[in-house]
Amino acid sequence: MKKTHIIYTGLLMMLCFIAQAQTQKGTVLIKNATVLTVTNGTLENTDVLVENGIIKRIGSNLTASNVETIDASGKYLMPGIIDAHSHVALDAVNEATSPITSEVKMADVVNPYDIGIYRALAGGVTISHAMHGSANAIGGENITLKHRYGSGNPENLFMKEAPRTIKFALGENPTRVHGRGNGNQPRTRMGVEAVIRNGFNEAIQYQKAWKAYEDAKKVKGATPIPPKYDTRLQTLADILDGKVIIHCHSYRADEIYALINTCREFGITNIVFSHVNEGFKVAPELAEYTMGASVFADWWAYKFEVYYSTAYNAAILTENGVITSINSDSGELIRHLYHEAGKAQRYGELDDEQTLALITINPAKQLGIADKVGSIEEGKQADLVIFNEHPLSVYAIPQMTFVDGVKYFDINDDNDDMRLKVSAAETVEPIFLKEHDHKCMHGVDFFFTNFGRNLFDHSH
Amino acid sequence: MNLITRFRLQVGAIVLLVLLNFSTVMAQSDPTGERRVTGTYAIKNATITTSPGKTVENATILIKDGLILAVGANVTIPKEAQIIEADSLYIYPGFIDGASNAGVSKPTDPDRPSNFNPSNPPDELAGITPWRSVLDYYDGNNSQVSEWRKVGFTIAQILPEGGMLPGKAAIVTLGDASSTNVLAQQTAMSAKFRGMGRGMYPGTQLGVIAKFRDLYKNATYSSEHGRLFASNAGLQRPEINKTYEAFYPVLDKNIPIIFEVSNDLEIRRALSLQKENGFNIVLTGVNEADAVIDEIKAANAKVLLSIKLPDDKVTKSKVEDKSEEVQARTKRVIEAYELALKQAAILEEAGIPFAFGSMGGRSADLHKNIKIMIENGLSETAALSALTTNPANILGIQKFAGSLEKGKLANMVIMSDPIFSEDAQIKHVVADGYIFTYDISKKKKGGDEEATVAIEGSWEYVSDTPAGSSGGIMDIKKDGDLYTGTISYDDPAGGGKASSEMKDINISGNYLTFSFDVSAGGMSIDVSVSGDILGDEFSGNMSLADFGTFPLNATKKPKRN
Repeated sequence: MKKTHIIYTGLLMMLCFIAQAQTQKGTVLIKNATVLTVTNGTLENTDVLVENGIIKRIGSNLTASNVETIDASGKYLMPGIIDAHSHVALDAVNEATSPITSEVKMADVVNPYDIGIYRALAGGVTISHAMHGSANAIGGENITLKHRYGSGNPENLFMKEAPRTIKFALGENPTRVHGRGNGNQPRTRMGVEAVIRNGFNEAIQYQKAWKAYEDAKKVKGATPIPPKYDTRLQTLADILDGKVIIHCHSYRADEIYALINTCREFGITNIVFSHVNEGFKVAPELAEYTMGASVFADWWAYKFEVYYSTAYNAAILTENGVITSINSDSGELIRHLYHEAGKAQRYGELDDEQTLALITINPAKQLGIADKVGSIEEGKQADLVIFNEHPLSVYAIPQMTFVDGVKYFDINDDNDDMRLKVSAAETVEPIFLKEHDHKCMHGVDFFFTNFGRNLFDHSH
Repeated sequence: MNLITRFRLQVGAIVLLVLLNFSTVMAQSDPTGERRVTGTYAIKNATITTSPGKTVENATILIKDGLILAVGANVTIPKEAQIIEADSLYIYPGFIDGASNAGVSKPTDPDRPSNFNPSNPPDELAGITPWRSVLDYYDGNNSQVSEWRKVGFTIAQILPEGGMLPGKAAIVTLGDASSTNVLAQQTAMSAKFRGMGRGMYPGTQLGVIAKFRDLYKNATYSSEHGRLFASNAGLQRPEINKTYEAFYPVLDKNIPIIFEVSNDLEIRRALSLQKENGFNIVLTGVNEADAVIDEIKAANAKVLLSIKLPDDKVTKSKVEDKSEEVQARTKRVIEAYELALKQAAILEEAGIPFAFGSMGGRSADLHKNIKIMIENGLSETAALSALTTNPANILGIQKFAGSLEKGKLANMVIMSDPIFSEDAQIKHVVADGYIFTYDISKKKKGGDEEATVAIEGSWEYVSDTPAGSSGGIMDIKKDGDLYTGTISYDDPAGGGKASSEMKDINISGNYLTFSFDVSAGGMSIDVSVSGDILGDEFSGNMSLADFGTFPLNATKKPKRN
């Protein structure tokens, strides 16, 4: 009993530390690490000084007084891993009731207590892109989260500097949910395209109506009547204005190419394709017209449209100049994205820097935050991971993970029970079931008939 | 007008007059014998707590026709007063329930139109019915209402049933059946984070929150349009939309939005919407408030604490011989359980004048749960305030309710012993000046108080959910000290019955709890059942994960020989 008591006192103290630290920016000096900057090569025996959450200096023999110093001799320091496609820490994923739901916001349903955040930290992931699911042609606005685990306030996790992003989805998921599930448009890939196109056209009309109203208001003595307000169309209008980055769930080359053309037609350049299993077929087009592709290393064949796939996808895309990242789309994969990147290297023979870019600076570019995170550079936010081995080694294990210079994971202080909130009435919480739900089609099962449910028993 | 018509009218008028007159005569003689002899009562020589913290001994309270005429030691008692000797009794102001749905029925869903589009359903189907008045669905004679009166409630704010914006609340007294008992209508606009679910927009919290924002904003524009149209020529007419119009009293801050919440994150979500739009807010169903005290204060949100407490599944569990991991895990659950019991105390400590809301709770648990809250740090004065003065202030009825003073409505609870004491039982409840009298059961002496009733056997149950009435069989067997059982129910996949193992079957006294899992569409839904057994009858509730709580009643089948 006494031992348990000590463990709990320790845990409580740590939780207090975290709770206090969440609004803080950390100051720390990491000494003698092999620094994998990603954008500026590998620096042996190098010190990194972090002040108030920002990387202040990178060099040798750095000193600072009254600063916690961590000796990283023999260890590797890399930028915090960034997951450009995740559903961790969300209470709801799919508002699967309408083909366009651009009015919904994932920021409204962030659950900061999700243990998945801590697990991601233990895998070196400091930023995840909490996305709407893929049930709708146009889903909701996503939220970029910094893994400041320990706060009960969702807003403390929001990366407020990150630009707005939105989920789109092509192919089987939206046609299954709306077309076959509800007898609604879209029923085919053509329908998905039409839904998106119609949405943009309506948004243009909407913009015009509001502009006319605003102009009329400027006339002295005028009493114009406000048009109907519609967040759905307003968000689509913001996409047309370049204020929102599209992250589009997609698999097949034909529909990827079709959406590229639609975007070109509407003057949209802020688009990233997710999954993109057939991306290798349209690599030059992706390179020229988009902000890149966020792919799986070797995950496929879970439904018909995902059979034509290859583990060389990431390498082919990279070599064709596509900004390429590797994402998790899973509460499990997010714990070892460095392995996933390693697979792309194993097959496609990318060099270390190209490979690490897949999980750091490239996803940062796709999320519009590459000027702040994604590499180890002076002036950037101090999201850092210390590994025992080179992170692309199969023996690599993250040792410490920092967000804004604050340590949120330490393998030597990794207690059995890191949950922030515990049910008052459940001695065993169904954690595994929940993990299963951190996926694209979360919460959609209900909408299918028995036929559909049996035929498509998978989740992405 | 021709002659014949005039004649007919005259005859009609005479007949009507005769009838009216006749009926008046009938009423005066009161053949039903139900009308009381007097509306004047003097309750003598009691210990009267006029408001939390203020008590007078040997005092008399005089009421007439629903109004308090006098309270004090020297009260002149008029001749027509019926005297109630209350020498050993304790009188408290009648309790006020901040949020109740006792006696409120769920409106029937309208039929789906033939061209129904799930992505854009009519408001009424989508659970957006803020124009509804709960009074149209309220039955004051429902037995649920008398159950809550029996435990001391005399006034309740009743909330409508339905989807994300089910309608407007009202305040009623739990008085005599002869009255409508309505104190105020349209007292708040009710809101929740639940859609109608199952394939209709908005289906999840994501959609509900987005839809709320759009409705609020468009209601603002709609009201602006209405104002412009009223004062300017040459404008298009406003399209009248009853959903937007129902928002107007909220926009004008004449009434608050009462948000139903179930945890700290939902409190934050409700407060975010409040911050964005600026309406007055009341939170109901509150728990886990400890995490959001500052936010509640900053929003000046009014708090209706849930009277429901979690079931104690752990504090008595014996884990000493279990692994360290199980011990550590159990300890955390115990801490969470204890924190749940401390919520009232934490709110008091923070200086938030909360009240109670009964929704989702059981009347039989009220006094038991408040005593548990007191054991966990809530002061008795604050507990009584949460039942009386605080809800009166939150509902804005403090002028005429919440305390026992001359000129206030005659609502009180008369108890055998000081409230919150071990033996305290309610002898009378005075609601709207009507006296309701209850049996005071003599407590059994000795250790057999906790004697448990026999539950083994076959029970036939019926449960009422919005989807309709359904039922099945619960078979309970005794296995040593433990119970095992199976429960059958209508298969959610359709066609016939399915059954599940009953888990955690627990009987304490006559209070039975158990749970079971229903597998529906690849999802496992946790169903928990609790209730009281009286003889061969079980009456209780069944909670379905996120879907709500519904009544479940069962009868034990006689043993076959």
